[in-house]
Amino acid sequence: MRKYAFRRLLQLIPILFAITFLSYGMMRIAGSDVVTQKMENTGQILSEDKLNAAREQLGLDKPFLTQYFVWLGKLLHGDMGNSYVSSLPVFDTFISKLPATLLLTVTSILLTIIISIPLGILSAVKQNTIMDYLIRLCSFIGNSLPNFFVSLLLMYFLAIRLRIFPVIAKEVSLKSVAMPAITLAIAMSAKYLRQVRATVLDELSKDYVAGAKARGVKFSVTLWKSIMKASLVTIITLLMLSVGNLLGGTAIVESIFMWDGVGKMAVDAISMRDYPIIQAYVMWMAIIYVVVNLLTDLSYRFLDPRIRLGGVKQ
Amino acid sequence: MSEKQNKNVTVRVQKIKKNHIKQKLAFFLILAIGLVVLAVFSEHLCPYDPYAQDLASALQPPSLQHPMGTDTYGRDMLSRVISGARASIFSTFILVAVISVLGTAVGVCCGYFGGAADAVMMRISDVCLAFPGLVFAMAIAAILGGGIQNAVIALAVVSWPKYSRIARGQTLALKEEPYIHAAILAGDSSGQIMLRHILPNMLGPVLVTAMLDIGTMMMELAGLSFLGLGAQIPMAEWGSMMSSGRSMIQTYPWVVLSPGIAIFISVAIFNLLGDTVRDYLDPKNSRS
Amino acid sequence: MRAKKFLAMAIALGLAVGATAMPTLAAEKKTLVFGDTTFNAENEEADINPQNTYAGWACIRYGVGETLFRYSDTMEIEPWIAKEYENIDELTWKITLNDGVVFSNGRACDGEAVKESLEALVANHERAAGDLCIDTIEADGNTVTIKTTEPKPALINYLSDPYGCIIDMQAGVSDDGIVIGTGPYVATELVTDDHVNLVKNENYWNGDVNVDEITVRTISDGDTLAMALQAGEINAAYGMAYASYPLFENDDFTFTSTATSRAFYAWMNFESPVTSDPAVRKAIAMGIDKDSFVSVLLNGYGYPAVGAFPDTFSFGGQNLTTESYDPDGAKKVLEEAGWVDSDGDGIREKDGQKLEIRWLTYPSRQELPLLAESAQATLKEIGMDVQINCTSDNNTIRKDPTLWDVYASAMVTAPTGDPEYFFTSCTLDESASNNGHYHSDQLEDLEKQMKQEFDADKRSDLAIQMQQTILDDNAYVFCSHLRMSMIMQSNVTGLTAHPCDYYELTADLDIN
Repeated sequence: MRKYAFRRLLQLIPILFAITFLSYGMMRIAGSDVVTQKMENTGQILSEDKLNAAREQLGLDKPFLTQYFVWLGKLLHGDMGNSYVSSLPVFDTFISKLPATLLLTVTSILLTIIISIPLGILSAVKQNTIMDYLIRLCSFIGNSLPNFFVSLLLMYFLAIRLRIFPVIAKEVSLKSVAMPAITLAIAMSAKYLRQVRATVLDELSKDYVAGAKARGVKFSVTLWKSIMKASLVTIITLLMLSVGNLLGGTAIVESIFMWDGVGKMAVDAISMRDYPIIQAYVMWMAIIYVVVNLLTDLSYRFLDPRIRLGGVKQ
Repeated sequence: MSEKQNKNVTVRVQKIKKNHIKQKLAFFLILAIGLVVLAVFSEHLCPYDPYAQDLASALQPPSLQHPMGTDTYGRDMLSRVISGARASIFSTFILVAVISVLGTAVGVCCGYFGGAADAVMMRISDVCLAFPGLVFAMAIAAILGGGIQNAVIALAVVSWPKYSRIARGQTLALKEEPYIHAAILAGDSSGQIMLRHILPNMLGPVLVTAMLDIGTMMMELAGLSFLGLGAQIPMAEWGSMMSSGRSMIQTYPWVVLSPGIAIFISVAIFNLLGDTVRDYLDPKNSRS
Repeated sequence: MRAKKFLAMAIALGLAVGATAMPTLAAEKKTLVFGDTTFNAENEEADINPQNTYAGWACIRYGVGETLFRYSDTMEIEPWIAKEYENIDELTWKITLNDGVVFSNGRACDGEAVKESLEALVANHERAAGDLCIDTIEADGNTVTIKTTEPKPALINYLSDPYGCIIDMQAGVSDDGIVIGTGPYVATELVTDDHVNLVKNENYWNGDVNVDEITVRTISDGDTLAMALQAGEINAAYGMAYASYPLFENDDFTFTSTATSRAFYAWMNFESPVTSDPAVRKAIAMGIDKDSFVSVLLNGYGYPAVGAFPDTFSFGGQNLTTESYDPDGAKKVLEEAGWVDSDGDGIREKDGQKLEIRWLTYPSRQELPLLAESAQATLKEIGMDVQINCTSDNNTIRKDPTLWDVYASAMVTAPTGDPEYFFTSCTLDESASNNGHYHSDQLEDLEKQMKQEFDADKRSDLAIQMQQTILDDNAYVFCSHLRMSMIMQSNVTGLTAHPCDYYELTADLDIN
C-alpha cells in the first residue's frame, strides 16, 4: 500500500513539469504583461523606455525558455520568487490565502453533508411520495442555477434585505464564510442528494433488505447498519472530488464575495499577468489533483475489501 | 403459481414504468427540441433587432411592448434572450459533441492498444485534468482574441479526459470478453473490432454522460462569460448579459433576471432530459 | 425594606450616571470606514509610501502625507507645507516653508527634512527623478533651494504630484510601507490589498482633526462596494459602478463629484487606409453621440468632452470648438469624399474598400466597453461597420498600426495639472505613445514654444492652441471626462471630490 502510494506520488513530478511549462508558455503567448496592465490601471501614459526598464527589472525581457528555466532553477532551491504586483514572496502570499480557502472548503462540505444525506435517504425511503417529489424539485432547481446567479441572489436577500450576514468578509470567520459556503453547498447538495437517493434506492432493491425485513429486523436498523454503509463508497468518492475542486478555490464565488482565498488570488493574478503567482496556483492545483485521486483510490480499497483482493469479483 | 404471478406483476410494473419513462422522454425531448428550434430560428423570432440601440428608451421595466424590459442601451431584452439562446445552446452542443466524440475515440484506442501510447495519453489527460480551466480560458482568450468559440476550446481541453477515462475503462473490460477474442481469432482488424464490437457497447454510457453534461457545460460557459472570458461585446450571450447587468440586480433587476432565468430553464430541461435518457437506457428498466 | 429602597435608588442612580456617561463616551470616539476600489497593488498602490510607484496617491488621499504645494479647485497652485516659491532663474527655485509644520511624530518639518525627503524620492523613484531633474538641493532654516539640470517650467506642478509627499526620512519607511507625514491622520496598520488603519494626528499643524479613527478598506469589486455601503458596513465609498448610483440617490446618502482629467478618447490611426482619410475621421467625430453616452450609459456621471482637459481647467474644453453629433452631416461628409453604399448592405465603400473600423479598446475600465458599443451603434447609422476588439492585450496590438483603426483609451491627461504632459506623451513625432503616427507641423512648432515657456497664462494659451490643432485634424476624438464621485452616508461631512483626484480624507472630514 505504501509503495503504491509512493509510486503514485512520483507521478506528480512529470505532471508538475508539464503543467508549469504549459502555463508559463500559455501566459506568455497570451501577450500583455504586468507592466502594461499596471499602466492601464493607473491611467498613465508611459514611454516604451520606461516600460522596457520595468520589464528588465522583472526579467520579462529575456526569452521565454530562459525565463522558465530561471524560474525552475529558483524553485528547485526552494525559492518561488516574488509577486510582480505586490513584490511579496509568492510562498508567503499563497500560504496567507490558504486558511480562507480551507475554511470555505470545510464549511461548505459539512453543509452539503448535513443537507444532502438525510434528504437523499428520506427521498429514497419515501420514493414517489409528495416528499420525494418536493425534495427532487429542490434538487433540480439547485442543480440548474449557475453559482454566480445564486451568489447575487443570496447577497441581495441575506445581506441587503435581511442583513443577516456581512457583505464584506472582514476576517476569516464563521459569520463571513456563511454566504459563500451556502452558495457552494446549494449546488453540491443538489448533486449529492440525487446520488444518495439513487444509491439508497439501489440498496433498497437488494435481496438482503427484503431478507432483513423477513427476519423481522427493524427497518431503521437496516437503514443505518447496512444501507448507509453501502452508500458511503459513492458519497466519499463524490466528496473527494468536490474537496479537490474546492481546495483549488472557487474563482467565481470567491471573487463575488471578496473571499480572500486561493481562487480569488488566481483570478487577480491571471488578470494582472502575475506569472509567479499563477505558477504557484497551477502547482497547487496539480498537487491537489494527484493527492485527491490517490486518496480516492486508497479509500476505495479501504472501504471495499473486494478491491483489495486484487479486483476479483465474487 | 404464486411465483409466476409475482413475476407477471413485476413485468407489468416494469412495462408501466417503461411506458412512463417513454412518455417522459418524449416530453423532455419535445421541450429540448423546442429550445433548439428557438435557437435555430432566433433571428426570425426576435420581435426587435437584438443589437439595435435606442438610448431614449434605456432600462425600461417589462411592458407589453418589451415583455422583458430593455437594457442599458435600450435594446429589447426579450430579443436578446432569444438571440442569446443561439450562442449559449449551440456552443454547448458543439462543446459536448467534440469532447464526447474525441474523448471516447482516445479512450477506446488507449484501452484497446495499451502500452506506451496509452501511458502517454493518460499522463496527458492527467495534465489536462489538473490544469486549471481558468488559466486556460484566459490564455486562449488572449491568444485567439475573445469570443465564445475560445471559451469552448478552453473547456474542451480540460473536459475531454472524462470521456476517455470512461471509454478506456469499458474497453479494458470488454477486451476480456470471449466474443472479442473470437473476433480476433477470426482475423478481424483492430479498426473493425473497435468500430463493430467495442464502440456500440460504449454508446449508452457515453450518451448518458454527454446528456447530463449539457447542463453543466452550459453553466460553465456562462460562468466563463460572466468572468469576461467568453462571449465578447456586443454579442448576446446569457452569461455575459448577466455579467454586464450584474450591478443592476437591485435597480433594474430584469436586466439580470431575464438571462438568468433563461439559463435556469434551459439547463433544467437538458438535465431532466439527461436523467430520463439515463433511466431509459438503464438495463434495470428494460428487462422484460 | 430599607435595603430594597437603597438598592432601587442605587440602580436608578447607576442608570442615570450610565445614561449620561454613555453619550459622552460615544462622542469621544468618532470612527469611520471608507471603502475604496483602487487601494490595491494592481493599481500600484500597495502601501502608502510615496516613494513606491503610485502609492503616493494613497498617502495623500488618506491624509497621511502632504505636498509642498497643492491644487485649488480650479487647478491653480496653492501653498500647503510651503508658503511661497520664487523662480530665481531658469534653473533655480527658492521655496519657503510655512512656520510650525510638524510631522505626526512631533519632528519639525523644516528645510532639512524637506531636503532629506526629496533626495530620497529622486533616489528611489525613477519617474520622479525623470520629472524633476534635480541637480542639488540646499536647505537653510525654513527655505529650500532647488537647482535643476535643465529648465523645468512645471517643477512646482511636479512637486505637487502625490510622489512629492514630504515624509520623515529619519523615521524611515516601515516594513509594511507605513511612513510618517505631516497630514491629519497617522497610519497604524497596513495590509496590502486589504486595509489601512488611521488614527487622528494629535500634532496636526493645520487645524483640528474631527475623526479619531478611520479604516480604509480595499473593496476591489464595485458591486460589493455598493452593497457594503447599503448595509452600513462602510460610511463612504470611492469607485462605485455607475449602475449602482440610483441606489443612493435618496436622503440617506450624499454625493460629491467633480470633473477630472481622466479622459475617454479615441486615437485615430493615420496609417490605416480608412482613418487616414480626413473625411472618415471627421465623420467619426460627428458620428459619436457623446451626450447620450454620458447621460444614459454613464447615468449622467460624466462630462461630454471637447478637448483633452475638462472645463475646470483654465485651458479646458470651454476654449475649443469641434464637431458635434450630427449623423446627417456625417453622411454628407462621407458622400462628398466618395464613400457610398453601392451594394446596399448599409456599409459604405470606396474603391473597393469597405468602410470598416477596427475599434481597439480594453475591458479594465468599465466605461470603455460602453463607449465601444455605443459608438458601434451610432456609427453604423452613418454607414460604418465597427468591429470591436476589447482585449487586455491592447497595449501590444496598438503598437502595430496594421491591426487597428481607432483605439479608445482612458488616460489621465494632466496628472500634475500641467498641460504639456499630454502632448509630449501622445501627440508628437517623438512621443512614445503616438501609435497612430499622427504628425502636425503646427503642433511641433507650438510644442517648441511650450518647452521654453515659464509663464502659466502663456502655457495655458499654448495648450489651447495645441488642442485646437489636434481637433481640427480630428486626430483624437475626446468623448467624455470622468466625473469622479464619492458617495457617503448623509451624516458624513467634509468629504469633497477634487478635480485632481488627490485629496480625499482631510481634517474637515466629520461624522455625526
